[in-house]
Amino acid sequence: MEKFVYIALFAPLLSSLLVALFAARPKILFTGILASALIGVSMIASFVLLVDVNAHGALHVKMMDWIDAGNLHIPFGFVVDQVSVIMMVTVTLVSTIVHIYSIGYMDHDKSFNRFFSYLSAFVFSMMILVMSDNFVGLFIGWEGVGLCSWLLIGFWYHKHSASWAANEAFIMNRIADLGMLMGLFLIYWQVGSFQYDIVFAAVKSMDVAIVTTIGIFLFIGAMGKSAQFPLHTWLADAMEGPTPVSALIHAATMVTAGVYLVIRCGELYTLIPHIGFAIASLGAFVAVFAASMALVNNDLKRIIAYSTLSQLGYMFVAAGLGAYWIALFHLMTHAFFKSLLFLGAGNVMHAMHDELNIKKMGGLYGSMKATAILMSVASVALAGIYPFAGFFSKDKILEVAFNHGAYYLWFALFIGAGMTAFYSFRLVMLVFFGEKEYTKYGIHPHEAQPFVIYALMPLGLLAIIAGFFEHSFEGFVTRLLSHYEVHLSHGTEWALIAGTSAIAISGIVFAIYKYSRGGFSKSLENRACYKLLINQYFIPKLYAMYIMQPFTVLSRFLWQRIDVRIVDFTVDLIAKVIYATGQNTRKMQSGNLSDMLRWMIVGMVALLALAIFFRPMV
Amino acid sequence: MDHILSLLVFFPAMAGLLGFLVAKESIKVYGISVSAIEFFLSIILWIGFDGSNAGYQFVEYYPFIPSYGMSYYLGVDGISLFLVILSTFITMIAFIALSIKDEIKNLIISVLFLEMTMVGVFLILDVIWFYAFWELSLVPMLYIIGAWGSAQRLYAAIKFFLYTFAGSVLMLVGILYIAFLYHDATGIWSFALPDWYRLQMPFDTQLLLFGAFFLAFAIKVPMFPFHTWLPYAHGQAPTIGSIILAAVLLKMGSYGFVRFSLPLFPDASVYFLYPIAIISIIMVIYAAMVAYAQEDMKQVIAYSSISHMGIVVLGTFAMNAEGITGSIFLMLSHGIVSGALFMLVGVIYDRRHTKLMRDFGGLATVMPGFATVYGIMLMASVGLPLTIGFVGEFLSLAGFYKVNWIMTLLAGSGIILGAVYMLTLYKKSFFGEVTHEDNKTLKDLNAKELTALIPLVALVVILGVYPKPILTTIDMSVKKMLVLLEKKAIDPHTSEFIINVNRIGGTK
Amino acid sequence: MITLTHYLVLVGILFSIGLVGVMRRTNLLMLFFSTEILLNAVNVGFVAVSNYYGDLSGQMFAFFIIAVAASEVAVGLGLLILWYKRNGSIDLNSLQSMKG
Repeated sequence: MEKFVYIALFAPLLSSLLVALFAARPKILFTGILASALIGVSMIASFVLLVDVNAHGALHVKMMDWIDAGNLHIPFGFVVDQVSVIMMVTVTLVSTIVHIYSIGYMDHDKSFNRFFSYLSAFVFSMMILVMSDNFVGLFIGWEGVGLCSWLLIGFWYHKHSASWAANEAFIMNRIADLGMLMGLFLIYWQVGSFQYDIVFAAVKSMDVAIVTTIGIFLFIGAMGKSAQFPLHTWLADAMEGPTPVSALIHAATMVTAGVYLVIRCGELYTLIPHIGFAIASLGAFVAVFAASMALVNNDLKRIIAYSTLSQLGYMFVAAGLGAYWIALFHLMTHAFFKSLLFLGAGNVMHAMHDELNIKKMGGLYGSMKATAILMSVASVALAGIYPFAGFFSKDKILEVAFNHGAYYLWFALFIGAGMTAFYSFRLVMLVFFGEKEYTKYGIHPHEAQPFVIYALMPLGLLAIIAGFFEHSFEGFVTRLLSHYEVHLSHGTEWALIAGTSAIAISGIVFAIYKYSRGGFSKSLENRACYKLLINQYFIPKLYAMYIMQPFTVLSRFLWQRIDVRIVDFTVDLIAKVIYATGQNTRKMQSGNLSDMLRWMIVGMVALLALAIFFRPMV
Repeated sequence: MDHILSLLVFFPAMAGLLGFLVAKESIKVYGISVSAIEFFLSIILWIGFDGSNAGYQFVEYYPFIPSYGMSYYLGVDGISLFLVILSTFITMIAFIALSIKDEIKNLIISVLFLEMTMVGVFLILDVIWFYAFWELSLVPMLYIIGAWGSAQRLYAAIKFFLYTFAGSVLMLVGILYIAFLYHDATGIWSFALPDWYRLQMPFDTQLLLFGAFFLAFAIKVPMFPFHTWLPYAHGQAPTIGSIILAAVLLKMGSYGFVRFSLPLFPDASVYFLYPIAIISIIMVIYAAMVAYAQEDMKQVIAYSSISHMGIVVLGTFAMNAEGITGSIFLMLSHGIVSGALFMLVGVIYDRRHTKLMRDFGGLATVMPGFATVYGIMLMASVGLPLTIGFVGEFLSLAGFYKVNWIMTLLAGSGIILGAVYMLTLYKKSFFGEVTHEDNKTLKDLNAKELTALIPLVALVVILGVYPKPILTTIDMSVKKMLVLLEKKAIDPHTSEFIINVNRIGGTK
Repeated sequence: MITLTHYLVLVGILFSIGLVGVMRRTNLLMLFFSTEILLNAVNVGFVAVSNYYGDLSGQMFAFFIIAVAASEVAVGLGLLILWYKRNGSIDLNSLQSMKG
């Protein structure tokens, strides 16, 4: 079985390196096919491992030693257990589909080959992240996906906004990574190892204060990758990247790495429920906060990005409250329907010649039926309507919050569910139905190539049926993760399900009703709360004004005032004083005998004075 | 193999003398060959090096002025081995990439002499000789900057020379004083470093002597606020000068801390730990911010060197095996990465005769190969895992975490700020549309530049993925040194501190 | 009664006169006179102290100084006359060819 581990891990790397050889060449269709095939191989290997783990339990391989210094020993080791194999399957499945989809999507791009190289490199990093058996290995993947995200967001580097967004994403993630690094250092000096099993065995006997610190540091890392408030602004800006990237990285896989980290460290977080609760509270806040921004935005991709943010909040609520398997389950179902939503949006973008404003679309159902249906399916799943996938996972999260007695959290998520349903269908209505606004701009939309649509079918199918695997999923992952006991009576459970479904359905109905009649009036756009939402609560502006600008000004100040005017000036001053002393004392050598005699006398007097006043004590 | 160290030290200088006889047309090939032979000699040294022996190997000892205990004393251990290889390697690569045409003969001979002093500093164990090599290294560098530099070259060269020279004068006094103390304690004269390691000095004396050595090393590293010669030197030096300066000469300072300050004055080192850590943190943050404000690409990298050297010093003063091993590894990785970055700036300077970022933009479109190599080096510079930059930075910070976590957090902000200035540089120069007409016709890397850069790229990746052989060798000698430190300390608190920072468990 | 103190005071006064002369005079001849005064001030001191201690070596030293000073003056005056013949002035300010 070991060889399947290596195949699953290294097939994407091989793909990336092979394709990279052609990176500078014009488009070669073969690179796309090769990359897709190799990622497909990785997917098959992951499925084989899934079956194997199901039958024989976890698999642990150690490839080689990496770092050896002092007491520190870090190997390249990989563990394929119930959690990582689920992640592997999800990642490779979505990746394969995104790769195939990209062959169509990037068809006309002159950097076709380069794109596939980056995309495969991302899959490799993500596989390292989920498969590693130690924290530093995870950190390799963690930074690796950050790098690939940087490369892919800034893929169209000639666009200023794209390269800016890429840098923003990288730097924001770095801020969080520092937190994570600190957590790793603390773990090391407490335990002397980074291996998950050793660390989790050791935390049980550790001081709670230290476990709390570790938990906080690691979660700071998770906040960056999963774009939790206040490090969330990069995710919306990251939509500058090509749409398949948004689907793969910024919806299905990389952004869920933070959730994966919390799930992976479940044994640690169960020891510190107060931190767990804080995570859940932040998650619930982000769920509503992000959903509210999605309500008014007119950018097709940004709406979906905010939706992702909001759903990540849901996952953190589950993970924070100790329902790890539910968080993982929602992570998986979300990966399916959200990537589907993005890829559908990609089709729409292509049809609309890269127009992103949904107000300029409308009535696209007529020309792109398949995409419309797929996106509707994904939206229904996202809204959480029975029997679609989102229903099972999201409902469970609300149930967890209620069961925990955290009624505020539950209520926030409940409202969030209504908003989710509303904005999803606002998007569907504005894009596919209603007036054909695009005719005003002279655009003739067309459906994507058939193979692209076929590639999306599996995701569509999964978005519908993934929920029915709930019990087998639970049984499988809870062999590793802790069980989550729900103490609610059947009546309460049904009432919760009914309530959540009701608000979701009413959200959908409201959106359909409102937008089939031309939407809201323009006057709404002058309201303060609309302004607040469309400007993302002014947070990006605040960051620009109160962090970036002062930083730039301070840097200039440090350079031009402190470094040049003070530090270097002092150095030069010393040199100048010495030089000036020389210049001035040179006048002593006037060549005039009586001047010299006078100096001689001065010297004599000085020496005499020295001899008299500084006699060595006898 | 008996005299390989002497050969390593003096071969470049001898070859440099012979170089005067070589015809001008073939001098570059001559230089490359000599440096390549020197590099292979250092590789042979590594092959012959016994990885399980933490002490000095290939020792050569001849009395020089026996009445005063001066000797010609060479030896190599895990700490110096890789710095020697780095010196020879970087010299070879810098020769390959050399693009200067005028007075090339003198340049190559100067660099060969410089190579002698660099290798000498790392290999010599007699302190008087060490001082001689240390000071001699300034002369070729003064000449390289002053003769082949840009417009303000004389100012920069003199500043470099006088600043670093003034710093080391106190060190000479310190050296003589220690010799005097050694004579007092044992009745014999000796300038041999291993002898001095056994000398226990009173606490107050240690403080004074530590200060005397500190100034010399701090200026060389360069530590804040003694760093201002560096931007000028880099800004004005020719590419080959910048490469060697950043890659090797700065390491002489941090090597001095490891080789002299810690083992000679353990109590003073622990006593001054926090002030030095604070200076290091200032270096990391301050230099990173100043780097962000720069307009000249070369200055960004010059200031980034200061920022990275801050982490090196921090790791050294972590006083544990993780930190010191990490800091030595970081010296190597910074040598390779900053050398490569300066070379890359040289590549673009050769083509456009400007280093200002606003004159570029969109280079990724016209020079994809250049952009790729630059990107890899940039990622190594910001310390991405699986590149060489991560290992040392991670270990240094991990080591210092045991001493003080808040300071580590502050120093760690270097990894954020590093990303800020490096990515900004990359965005300004490589991304966006090609705006300047001159940039539209730029040629990508040529064969010569690729030959020089590909080994560096390969090292960045290989040592990032598999640093173990180097780390274990360094680690062995570092652990031996730590045992010495702990035994030698006269203050029981120092020993306790050293044992404590090397122990797992009990950290907040 | 004339004591050692009186002699030493005289020495001091003479020495100061000589010193001021050395510092203030610009005529080379006057400079020679001042130097002579300085030397003789010291001679008086030597002789006085030697008398006080009853030790002859002081007086011997004074003779040496007189002899050396005489020869010095002879050579010096010779050079001075030569200089005067060549330049027509023995003013110190005209002797500045070694100005730094």
